[in-house]
Amino acid sequence: MKKLFWVFLIGFWGVMCLGARYSFASQVDILLQKLVDKDILTPGEASQIRTETEEEAKVEAAKGKTPGLPDWVRNIKLKGDFRLRYQYKHDKADNNVASDTSVGRVRVRVGLESKINEKIMAGIGIATNSGGDPRSTNITFGDKNGGYSSKMDVRLDYAYAKYLPFSWLTVEGGKMPLGDVLWEPTDLVWDTDITPEGGIFGLEKGLGSKATVFLKTGPLFGTADTSSNSDPVMLYLVQPGASYKFNDRVSLKGTFSLYDWTNVAGTAFPTDSWYKSSNTKNGSAWAYNYQVVSPAFEATIQEPLKALGLNVESLKLFGEYVNNTAVSDKNTGYAFGFQLGHAKIEKWGDWQFKYIYAMLEKDAVLDTTPDSDRYSGKTGMRSHEGAFTFGLAKNTFLGVDIYRSWNINGISRKAPETLVQVDWNMKF
Amino acid sequence: MRFFTRLGVLASVFIGLAVPCFAEKIVVEGSTTVLPISQRAAEVFMDSHAGADISVRGGGSGVGIASLIDGTTDIANASRAMKDTEVQKAVDKGRTPKANVVAMDGICVIVNPSNGVSALTKKQIKDIYTGRVSNWKDVGGSDAKIVVISRDSSSGTFEAFGELALDKEKVRADALLQASNQAVASTVAQTPDAIGYVGLGYVAPSVKALDVDGVKASRETVLNGRYPISRPLFMYTNGQPRGLAKEFVDFILSAEGQKIVEEEGFVGLK
Repeated sequence: MKKLFWVFLIGFWGVMCLGARYSFASQVDILLQKLVDKDILTPGEASQIRTETEEEAKVEAAKGKTPGLPDWVRNIKLKGDFRLRYQYKHDKADNNVASDTSVGRVRVRVGLESKINEKIMAGIGIATNSGGDPRSTNITFGDKNGGYSSKMDVRLDYAYAKYLPFSWLTVEGGKMPLGDVLWEPTDLVWDTDITPEGGIFGLEKGLGSKATVFLKTGPLFGTADTSSNSDPVMLYLVQPGASYKFNDRVSLKGTFSLYDWTNVAGTAFPTDSWYKSSNTKNGSAWAYNYQVVSPAFEATIQEPLKALGLNVESLKLFGEYVNNTAVSDKNTGYAFGFQLGHAKIEKWGDWQFKYIYAMLEKDAVLDTTPDSDRYSGKTGMRSHEGAFTFGLAKNTFLGVDIYRSWNINGISRKAPETLVQVDWNMKF
Repeated sequence: MRFFTRLGVLASVFIGLAVPCFAEKIVVEGSTTVLPISQRAAEVFMDSHAGADISVRGGGSGVGIASLIDGTTDIANASRAMKDTEVQKAVDKGRTPKANVVAMDGICVIVNPSNGVSALTKKQIKDIYTGRVSNWKDVGGSDAKIVVISRDSSSGTFEAFGELALDKEKVRADALLQASNQAVASTVAQTPDAIGYVGLGYVAPSVKALDVDGVKASRETVLNGRYPISRPLFMYTNGQPRGLAKEFVDFILSAEGQKIVEEEGFVGLK
């Protein structure tokens, strides 16, 4: 109790002497030394109090410089990026007529997230968008949303609220960033620009210091329930997964996902220009439902070439498989590949190379969700993708992404497509 | 109706998986120097606290502090005090960094007991380790080539010695690298003209610890900050630690926790 009194007294001095931080420090030193000399404090306790008091004084001094804004304003995090793209595409249609196009594109995304209180967060983001395309935030220069005839469109990209009642539980609702909804090692099934709508429960629990298990589950809306004659298209997602860290260099993550799209069969498909129909159709409607199971994994190895004397930061090996259990034909797909180089591109000289081989049969997944760059986002294709990214400066990087894809639906000419994208990306 | 049936199934699955997961989880991230203390303490703590889940990872002091500022870690391990700019950034984001000193790090410079040199200045130590001085006669000893022993670059002690004694300059290329404090002490004990550095807890009678800038290395001089190659080790929290974070910090400051600190080669506060 006596010790507590002295600690309190020194702390009180600390607050009183904030305006004279350094002279205060020497006075505290003298006082602490006397307490050590009198065996009231051990030298270690004195050192602990001295250092902690100095640190507290730094915090109080910093608080004095901060205007009295509400916490939720001070807790706002802003983020965004700006990307310029040159895109070349060469393709051959089924009638063997070749087409070459070269376009410039721009993408701007801005988002903010605020911690409303200790357990609730909310975020919104806006992005450039052309015609409501859910799989792309690009606008092509001179296209209908740009050029000399109009200004470019900006739309709400996401808006969500997140409730974190416990450290292991997250409940989220709204139009959500894809990474909040599910984990995927490649964009075989889900284009990363998609922001699903609905609600998600997220559960994550560490098992010791090496293993973590997690679960994402919830209902997501495909269409609205606005007609009494038909039920809406819904996706029920269940994605259990686990990660394991074998040591400081090697870790493994895996999931087994169930994407249960209901009421798709008989629903009219979109007539928008962004929609590239490739599933089996029955007139103007989809023919089947999509109950997709999908195991996926990603192995990460830090410094994989250390034994060869090469300083490469990390190697990722990944793969995923999909099977639509609702149909029996042309219902599978897979992707596998690797990523070598820096885990993140943050500064000059950072680099990354990625290769993915992907194959999706006609009805393996719903044709509104796969990566929109891989064979224009269609199913019924196979594709090689090679991407190289190089850091130009802090938060600025250059990327070259090349796809070579073919139709696999039994058409004799295979309708090959080559897509080259050169990107200059700036993150903030 | 089908919607609600499926929603019910999902909720059941979720609740079923959630029930065993009521354990509180905290993340401890940051300094690789503090990492061995945190890891062992977490293991011992979790053994005696069923349901407690403490995830410990390294990354460096700067990474841990940045995560504390961003709110992605509960405890930031740091082998240095937060910089004023970091404190300001934290406060601007609504955080209140609370420094919890959990141990002291004192690094002793050792030589073979047969060596006539008993004291060096920090500058002399830096000159020896960076290659500017290579003979004992240049620092008051006999005419003999200095055999420089260092820890390997993955060690926290190597990092600390580089910061505190060498002003972050590189260790000379011909230094013999050893994988542990014990290996350094053994090599110095068996090599008459060797110089090495070890944590205070590894100074044995088989080696001689040098005074640095006129200060003898001891628990007391490390704890009162007079010994020049010493520093406090921190676990920063956002405000006063609460819940599992508080229990964990309290455990490290307890007699059992401080024993772990000493066993890992650092200087305990008690």
